[in-house]
Amino acid sequence: MDRDADGTAAGLVVEHTLSTTSPASSAVRFQAAREAIIGAQGLPAAQRRRALSDVADRRISDLLGSSPPPGTSVVAVGGYGRRELLPGSDLDIVLVHDGTRSPEEVGAVADAVLYPLWDSGVPLDHSVRTPDEAAAVARSDLKVALGLLDARHVAGDPELTRRLAEASLADWRKLAAARLPELHEAVQARTARCGELAYLIEPDLVESYGGLRDTLVLRAIAASWVADWPHSTIVEESRSWLLTVRDALHRSTRRRSDRMLLQEQDDVASLLELLDADVLLRRVSEAGRAIGYASDVTWRSVQRALRSRTRRHLLSRRPTRRPLADGVVEYDGEAVLARKVDLEHDATLAVRAAAVAAQAGVPLAVATLERLVVETPDLPVPWPAAARDAFVRLLGAGRDGIPVWEDLEAAGLVVRWLPDWERIRHRPQRTPIHRHTVDRHSIEAVAEAAALARRVARPDLLLMGALLHDVGKGWPGDHSATGAVMAESMAARMGFDDDDVHTISELVRHHLLLPMVATTRDLDDPATTTLVADLVGSAERLELLSALTEADARAAGSLAWTPWRAALVRDLVRRVHARLADEDDTTEAGVSFVEPWARTLASSGAFEVLVSAPDVDQICRVTVVAPDRVGLLACAAGVLALHRLEVRGASVDTIDGSAVQVWRTVSMFGPPPDDQVLRQDLMLALEGSLDISGRLERRSAERRRSVIRTAPPRVQLLTDASQTASVLQVRAHDEPGLLHRVARVVADIGVAVRSAVVDTLGADVVDVFYLVGDDGGPVNPEVAELVRDRVCEALEGRA
Amino acid sequence: MKLITAVIKPFKLDDVRSALESFGVHGMTVSEASGYGRQKGHTEVYRGAEYTVDLVPKIRLEVLLDDSDVDDVVEVIVKTAQTGRIGDGKVWVTPVDGVVRVRTGERGVEAL
Repeated sequence: MDRDADGTAAGLVVEHTLSTTSPASSAVRFQAAREAIIGAQGLPAAQRRRALSDVADRRISDLLGSSPPPGTSVVAVGGYGRRELLPGSDLDIVLVHDGTRSPEEVGAVADAVLYPLWDSGVPLDHSVRTPDEAAAVARSDLKVALGLLDARHVAGDPELTRRLAEASLADWRKLAAARLPELHEAVQARTARCGELAYLIEPDLVESYGGLRDTLVLRAIAASWVADWPHSTIVEESRSWLLTVRDALHRSTRRRSDRMLLQEQDDVASLLELLDADVLLRRVSEAGRAIGYASDVTWRSVQRALRSRTRRHLLSRRPTRRPLADGVVEYDGEAVLARKVDLEHDATLAVRAAAVAAQAGVPLAVATLERLVVETPDLPVPWPAAARDAFVRLLGAGRDGIPVWEDLEAAGLVVRWLPDWERIRHRPQRTPIHRHTVDRHSIEAVAEAAALARRVARPDLLLMGALLHDVGKGWPGDHSATGAVMAESMAARMGFDDDDVHTISELVRHHLLLPMVATTRDLDDPATTTLVADLVGSAERLELLSALTEADARAAGSLAWTPWRAALVRDLVRRVHARLADEDDTTEAGVSFVEPWARTLASSGAFEVLVSAPDVDQICRVTVVAPDRVGLLACAAGVLALHRLEVRGASVDTIDGSAVQVWRTVSMFGPPPDDQVLRQDLMLALEGSLDISGRLERRSAERRRSVIRTAPPRVQLLTDASQTASVLQVRAHDEPGLLHRVARVVADIGVAVRSAVVDTLGADVVDVFYLVGDDGGPVNPEVAELVRDRVCEALEGRA
Repeated sequence: MKLITAVIKPFKLDDVRSALESFGVHGMTVSEASGYGRQKGHTEVYRGAEYTVDLVPKIRLEVLLDDSDVDDVVEVIVKTAQTGRIGDGKVWVTPVDGVVRVRTGERGVEAL
């Protein structure tokens, strides 16, 4: 024999030996092959997964023998079906038979395949079914149905496998309308349990929302033909990266757990040859955000598609379309751009649209978001008031606004608006109290702050403080000090005035002051109170800082805001407040806002309404001069609301028996109305021949009821604020006609409003009314309390 | 062996801890606690709203010791935690029958 023949012969001998070895030694070989693959250095993770699955395929073929009994086949499902086996993964198989075999025969085949696999120590998940039985089980068990979508032939009768796969897929498509809502519920329950991959510091790579499980859900949705998924390339890349990380995690821990704990992250990072655990977590977070965003969008289109399917049967009702604001409409549950918007010249459109969507509790449509990204110009620096105001309203939407924020973030708009945000994007933080990345923690703090909006006189500054309080974590050094500097430049960029910029910056600088002092200093020592009072500076800022402290701690997690800690901080705030209140010289506003010409008009007893042209910030100034009477404020506020003028602020004063009201308004749709039209309507309203309340009522019934949850209104009598009037303060979530309702209640009780200051700060309203009785002095306490209670009822009736 | 339990004002924790460390005590259990003694719940008015302070926030500190060190350690704690005002807290000593170190299984004084 020559060498070649020799070699061939030797090969044959080996073959022969292998096929006739005892079952035990073949099991040993299978085990050894698996171990070799798992231990192989430098084998790319994707190849490892495939190799593990291939070696299992060969083992099963061997076990079934060269001539498997006709009418049976072995089918791989789930991860094994996708050829994605990890060292610890279950071998998920279905033994399919056509039902013509006797139970004994099928049992014998099952024994021959399953027992040896079981004995070799590989985790095994198996079932024995006919295609019909498999379909029946899939119909009642979602997990089985999803697993079957990945069915792959391993051994036996390929025709039988094909029948099973086709039947599963056909069933899935046919029953999609019922199965997808069921799947969505399961996804939501899982998200509630496991959180979102993108924002957790110890995420579950599979089960957290945006994790591997959701990529399978996306595939299942696509397979149902109900909706397709956007950004498929980036989702596939993210998926493959997560699989690689999961593989490294399993190899590092030698366990099957998919939750990546802090203590394991350094190991996993070094296995993946990454710089450190922060880089690892940041990349996991990015993948989670990409998959999460694709899932959000896909689920929305699933819901739309399913709605339109049912709608077809119901007299083909058209999707609802409602205007939300100038240039933005709600169409079929999403915020989209109106037909005639000028994207190319409207720099503030993106932030305005986002605010409107967040306040209405609807998402921005994907295509809308993409157009806003591509077509709108950059915001000028400093931002115009309209942009700043909209941004604060976006933040003020609270928890229900988070999805809109995340969409903006995923589309890159947040970083475009605030380039410094990039430093904290996806940034992990390694402290035992935090559960979220820095950026998500900041947004959680904003949501908590929105719920505390009624506690402070300046909710806008509270929201900004919450957003920026940890922005310094993107830089080396003490994050409070660095953050104060960053916050200052960011707030200035957004066009806040110097005082506000300073307050925001100081809030960031001192955001840890209260809990730090409360837990480590003697509160009985006057020096402690003095120290904090000096650092904080004013009662208003203390109020903001105390709300920010609570919002920050609540956002971090239940550990950071225990009743114990809350009690200490509250005690400190109370003491410092007492100190600052002593110093505070609360005087009524001395400088009159009334300009000389208006004063002259007022003295002459004229009745005039003047509307200025919109200024650069779209603000129209409406000046009303009229003989004062009870109910004038309510009528004026009502007429403005009827003409769709949004009140951003107002100052009201009485001069020589005439009221002078200066309203700062923004026209919601189109140009502002004419002076004479407003004057005419105000006259009719005062005569009682214009039913303002009724018309506003009807309009609000047509308007979409906002679904977002907001902090309840707060109505207070400020006992020490004035010697000459009773002072009523109202803090509430803004909505059209609100001021009219409050003023109406006051007028109905017969109380006059001598002066008033109205401020809209983002989505929140802070109004102060100086009420006087018939004698021109403070109203008697019982009447004042009646006013307070009635106003409160009127506002809560809406909430 | 004895267990020393001290309930002190929260801001005194750092002082007490460093005093104990320089004395040679290297292990302790610290927990957030709330309660009242003679410095009882009282009603406060804060920003126009009444609220009751039922329980005052305190720190509870526990140290396991050999009998011979007990008096000195109690002395250290009392001295460091004292402000002379109401609510400074209490320290008490209880006998301990047995101690086991979980990691090694050592028992008694060895396990301290």
